[in-house]
Amino acid sequence: MPIIIPEHIKERGKNDARRHREKQKEIIKEQLPGIIAEESIITGKPGKIIKVPIKSLEIPYFKSGKPSPSVGVGQGGGNKGDIIGKRKGFEKEKGHKRAGNEPGVDYIETEIEIEELIEMAMEDLGLPRLEEKTVKKLIIELGYKIHGISRSGPPSLLHRGKTVKEGIRRFWAFLNALRQKSGSSEFLCYRSLKQANGNINEAIRLLKDNAVDISDVDEKIEPFPILHPEDLRYRKIQESRSYRSQAVVFAMMDVSYSMDMEKKYFARSMFWWLVTFLRNIYQEVQVRFIAHDTTAWLVNEEEFFHTGEMGGTYCASAYELVKNLIETEYPVSVYNVYAWHFSDGDDFNAEAAAKSIQKLLDMGINMIGYGEIHSDKYTGQEFSDLLKTYINKFNLPVKKEDNFLVWGRDELSFMAVVLCHKSDLWPAIKAFLRKDR
Amino acid sequence: MNKNDLGRLSRIETRINNIAKEYSLLTTEIDFEIVPARRMLEAMSYWFPVNFSHWVFGRDFDKNRTIYEYTGQGIPYEQVWNFEKPRALLVKENPFVLNVLTIAHVYGHVDFFLGSAYLQRGRAFSDIAEEARNSTERFHRYGSRYGHIAVEEVIDASMSIQWQEPADPFLDEPDDEEARKYLIEKIRKRLSDATSLYGNQKNIDTKKDIISLEEKLKQLEYRTPPEPVYDLLKYLIAHAPYLNKWERDVLGVVRNQARALSPNRRTKILNEGWATFWHARIMRRLFQEGLLTPSEHGVFVDYHAKVTQASKIRLNEYHVGSALFENIQRRWDMGCFGSEYNACVDPIARANWDTKVGKGTEKIFSVRASYTDRMAIEDLFSDEFIHEQELYLYGIHIDKKTNEEIVYIVEKCPGIIRSVLKEQRVLYGIEPIAVVDGNYRGKGFLFLRHDYHGVQLNELYTRGTLEHIYRLWKRPVYLETRAQNKKIVYVFDGKQHKTI
Repeated sequence: MPIIIPEHIKERGKNDARRHREKQKEIIKEQLPGIIAEESIITGKPGKIIKVPIKSLEIPYFKSGKPSPSVGVGQGGGNKGDIIGKRKGFEKEKGHKRAGNEPGVDYIETEIEIEELIEMAMEDLGLPRLEEKTVKKLIIELGYKIHGISRSGPPSLLHRGKTVKEGIRRFWAFLNALRQKSGSSEFLCYRSLKQANGNINEAIRLLKDNAVDISDVDEKIEPFPILHPEDLRYRKIQESRSYRSQAVVFAMMDVSYSMDMEKKYFARSMFWWLVTFLRNIYQEVQVRFIAHDTTAWLVNEEEFFHTGEMGGTYCASAYELVKNLIETEYPVSVYNVYAWHFSDGDDFNAEAAAKSIQKLLDMGINMIGYGEIHSDKYTGQEFSDLLKTYINKFNLPVKKEDNFLVWGRDELSFMAVVLCHKSDLWPAIKAFLRKDR
Repeated sequence: MNKNDLGRLSRIETRINNIAKEYSLLTTEIDFEIVPARRMLEAMSYWFPVNFSHWVFGRDFDKNRTIYEYTGQGIPYEQVWNFEKPRALLVKENPFVLNVLTIAHVYGHVDFFLGSAYLQRGRAFSDIAEEARNSTERFHRYGSRYGHIAVEEVIDASMSIQWQEPADPFLDEPDDEEARKYLIEKIRKRLSDATSLYGNQKNIDTKKDIISLEEKLKQLEYRTPPEPVYDLLKYLIAHAPYLNKWERDVLGVVRNQARALSPNRRTKILNEGWATFWHARIMRRLFQEGLLTPSEHGVFVDYHAKVTQASKIRLNEYHVGSALFENIQRRWDMGCFGSEYNACVDPIARANWDTKVGKGTEKIFSVRASYTDRMAIEDLFSDEFIHEQELYLYGIHIDKKTNEEIVYIVEKCPGIIRSVLKEQRVLYGIEPIAVVDGNYRGKGFLFLRHDYHGVQLNELYTRGTLEHIYRLWKRPVYLETRAQNKKIVYVFDGKQHKTI
């Protein structure tokens, strides 16, 4: 018969599909700097699915180049020039050349949950390790709780169930020993043990003397617990405490500098990611926004990102405000304190700013970062007096990480970066959160 | 599918076989396997009933499964292999009448397999399914021994050039020694002609020619390949200096699969069109004979419509192909061909043309026997047919404001559409690239040449492909082509890309 039901063939599609998704993830990871700067992310709610343009995975082959203006043959009514359909295109970031260097392929849009993306980013950061060493925890005493079993304790905590279980175990052990020693049947041994009330020596004697009473009973073994003092089990009490970890992020921004929307977006994105990551480490994370020109003041988030141009600049004013807040509201003994400051680098008194930073470092702040925002055309040659002062004052060597300059020393909780492009965000965040510093 | 259904399907299959024979379709014994949808989706994605593991297959499986599970479209209904004994799958979960439709469709394909000169070529690789099945275990073993990533890399690399073959699918290029022997003999003959009084007078060479011929002869002694070869994998298997035995095995399997499948690429429109053309007829008969019920007719019509639906942005072979055979049959039945018809310019006379010559059936069978898609487009896509099918060329324009891709009709002129369709099928997407020198600069570098035909290569893809070839050749790889009307040579030396 030509129509047959064939033998079962091992399934392989799922596994190979998994491998494909793994490879896709690798690509997403490679493109993290670009993806992380996507604006749709920071406006996303938890669980939101974001679309990231990534390259479709295709094996490259010798392919002919640019198609002519007409790209394909289709079928249906219509005349020359008629629009037959629309679809969403992909934004190609200007100046973002990375993508072009890989062999591969057209952009496709892939969906990824924001949590998954955060997880990947965390992996890339090596963040979970941060917890062990640096996190300060608050201990909260909750009294006592019962937890575990011990061999001694007050009678009131005797664990009956566990104790009886031990006794039954002893019963079986004795019964076995009796059988081996006397060679009598199991039932006879049981009767003697029963008659001797669990005393094994007595039971042996009874067996020897043939004094075991087996009249009037069914041939049934009913185990009973034989308790010796070491069989007693007690509940254990422990002190109960819980740990709470909390952090505060001070977001500082120099509002004297006219930052365009794109630059403001840098700041927004940076803080969003900082707080997101810290929330994965600490149970509670607070953010305080500080705007400053020559003086500093606390603002809410909305104001922070929308405050317009003001007068001159004293960065020190912002740092001093942070210092006051730490002293009054966020003691470093219970808070993990992070501070980040965005500026264009103009400062009337760079020396004072450096001094204020030193004060914060002396207080034991976890990390303070300085981000200098430059225009796209920044060549990496010249930087501001403020940055220069910081470099000299704190003796900061420059390090190149992923083609990105970071000034900082491993043992110092202060670092500085210069940001020009969207793609600088990720290395900056990475440098700031890298635990080894 | 229960026992009753199975029995009924079996009886209908026997009838379809008879109907096919009545229509003079070529048939042979066909194995129909009833499988779950998952298995069908795998078969569609893995090219063969069982094939080695690779992420490319996984990617396609994922895509097909997503379409199947989430959109309800693309219900898998057809997979048939051109084996010695053709094999086809039927899906357990599919409606009964859809499985009947599949069987009828498969009979159309099988006739095409047996009757088309190109598909007969594919049948020459009849042990390919067995080879694919056996490779599964073997490749897995290689993975355990040499690392799964290493195996994946070699498969990736082989796949990147697996379709590279001579433009003539019937040609199996000779190996080095065979070609060398032949070429040397040819030049010697020519040299002896030149120096002999009785030589072939057509080949009178000048002194200079003779010197260059002698030089060529000298080179031929050690040159590899003696003559450019286009079957890249074949050349690499034979000559890549640092490949392990298992790597050559992988290359061989990947190459053979492409060789077996490549004839299909040349006859997509005709093959699907032919099967659709015949399934429509066979199904009609089954309904007439009462083997299928009137209530099943609705289901059949739905699926038939789905399969043959015209697409706005691609050419649906099921639709255009079957319409083409209908069109040819009608034209040749009514004598709408030949010089007299072609010379007639009166549209009314053309429209009413009917010589009652009745050559339609003969013509469609001869098209099935010896045409490729390209030949069919050139010869049979008449202006009337292109109009009737409402074919157009479309373009994509990006709206800078909304960042939307706007698809619009660029051209409706039949001549232009015909030439674009034809162009796409001159090379069937395979750029002609030959190994010119396997010992370039005397250093064992690989030198490839692209036969430039007016369209330059995509640079990103080219570089990626060169990296893959490097993975196999393990020495610098060169590719000569043209870009911006200049000769250009891409080089990949294992670390970086250069252009010369």
